[in-house]
Amino acid sequence: MEVAPGEVYGLLGPNGAGKSTLVKQVIGLLKPDSGRITLGSFDLVEDPDAARQLCSYLPQAQMPIDSFKAREAIDIAGMIRGGPAAEVKRRREEMIEALEIGEWRDVLGARLSGGVKRLVGFAMVTVWPGRVIILDEPTNDVDPLRRRRLWEQIRRMGSEGAAVLLVTHNVMEAEKSVDRLAIINEGKLIAEGTPSSLKADDRGRLRLQLMLHPGNSTPELAPLVRDHVRVGNNLVTVIDEDAAGAGIVWAQDLLARGVIEEYALGATTLEDVYVRLTGHKSESER
Amino acid sequence: MTVPIPMIGVLPAKRTGPSHWWHGFIAMLRWEITNMRLLLPLTVVVQVLFGAGFVLGIGLFFEDIPSRAALFLSTGATTITLIMVGLVMGPQLVAQQKLEGTYDYMWSLPVPRSAATTAWITLNMIFAIPGMVVALLVASWRYGVDLEISFAIVPAVLLTLLTATLLGYALAHAVTKPEVTLLLTQVLIFGIVGFSPINYPQDNLPGWLAELHEYLPFLPMATVVRGGLTQGLVSNVVQSYVVLSAWGLIALGLVAGSLGRRR
Repeated sequence: MEVAPGEVYGLLGPNGAGKSTLVKQVIGLLKPDSGRITLGSFDLVEDPDAARQLCSYLPQAQMPIDSFKAREAIDIAGMIRGGPAAEVKRRREEMIEALEIGEWRDVLGARLSGGVKRLVGFAMVTVWPGRVIILDEPTNDVDPLRRRRLWEQIRRMGSEGAAVLLVTHNVMEAEKSVDRLAIINEGKLIAEGTPSSLKADDRGRLRLQLMLHPGNSTPELAPLVRDHVRVGNNLVTVIDEDAAGAGIVWAQDLLARGVIEEYALGATTLEDVYVRLTGHKSESER
Repeated sequence: MTVPIPMIGVLPAKRTGPSHWWHGFIAMLRWEITNMRLLLPLTVVVQVLFGAGFVLGIGLFFEDIPSRAALFLSTGATTITLIMVGLVMGPQLVAQQKLEGTYDYMWSLPVPRSAATTAWITLNMIFAIPGMVVALLVASWRYGVDLEISFAIVPAVLLTLLTATLLGYALAHAVTKPEVTLLLTQVLIFGIVGFSPINYPQDNLPGWLAELHEYLPFLPMATVVRGGLTQGLVSNVVQSYVVLSAWGLIALGLVAGSLGRRR
């Protein structure tokens, strides 16, 4: 796996796939059994001190800032990362404005909602960033509006030259925001590439999604179905573009017979690739 | 017009050396002080109550406390407040961090781990002092004991606190599972309060346990503190310093070993 400066690189996979384990090895919290992790001329497995200086890490858990006012937490985090006080303050204000969290500037962490705390955590990690920015589920609990601001900032880190390593199981978000991504399952890398290259196999195909009545077994599939996966009551099938008409007729028939509650026909998404490869539904579709 | 984000771009040289260490130490002191400020007043109150309560509570065992026992109790309770802060409260705080999942962030920060550890130990030691002083004051007020405090109390308290804190730190970081750390601290409280010759003379214990305590750090801690607070109550002060220093070095080794450790 290789990540270039300026790249926002997504690590996707179901819970327990090994995404967090991998980034904890990069930052030097865990030691890999074998293999190498390098950053420029630094061997990060051999030199975890260098890893901690060169990488900023937003863990999946909330930051321990109950006793800190939001602005203090960002300032002290910037100071710990080695930033000069005046510069850190300037960056702090920039981040607070960009993430639209100004109204909580002087509020104690203990009184912040999960989403705002998450944004403060992001500001702590990026106020004086390392060359590699590791974000483990950064958008958890964040409301849709500020989620957009957060993505803008993540993109900005990339466009200014940082390598961003982004752990997520929200495929829809990742599809829109990452340059390249890896899909990991059970500790193994099962696919890597740009979102569109990963979808290349599905070119010329459509997804026909069928919501089964709860408890119904999978109906007999029409011959036009190229691929399918069922998660819960959700049956996602892949059909050829020129079979769209026949697909609708088939779905209408299932609907009329009460096998399904509804159906939807649309372009294939990264989600479909992900589901096909891992056999799991991602968070964005739950 | 946004200003470019500093620090992104070129790969810098790794920071090392005394100024990097000192900067990390100061930054972590600031972090820890801010982190503790909500809990700090409560923590100090609990320690003060613990010290005072312990002195007064044990006194209830006696209808009329003999003066030698009163002296043992007063100096013992003082020692116990020091041990508790280092060996029990410290590891409990770390275990709490691990349970909350905040430990990973703290250990991913770009400061030398020895600087972060030193900051934590320094504060832990400072916060132990109020409880100790109050325990001593309550004891002399309640039992009217005649303390003869000498300068030897300074190294005695420092070495006792440092060793207890280092042992606690090693216990918290070397034991991976926080649940186990919490359990061990409970066992320690029980063992130290009930079965260590801190509040009573060593002769009161069965022979084998009295013998064992020659090699454990708790009796030497009590002895050196008594040596600083009284005259003639204890005799083997020098030997106690030797044993305690050895424990201090062992604990330091354990802590140093746990610093670079990755799971």
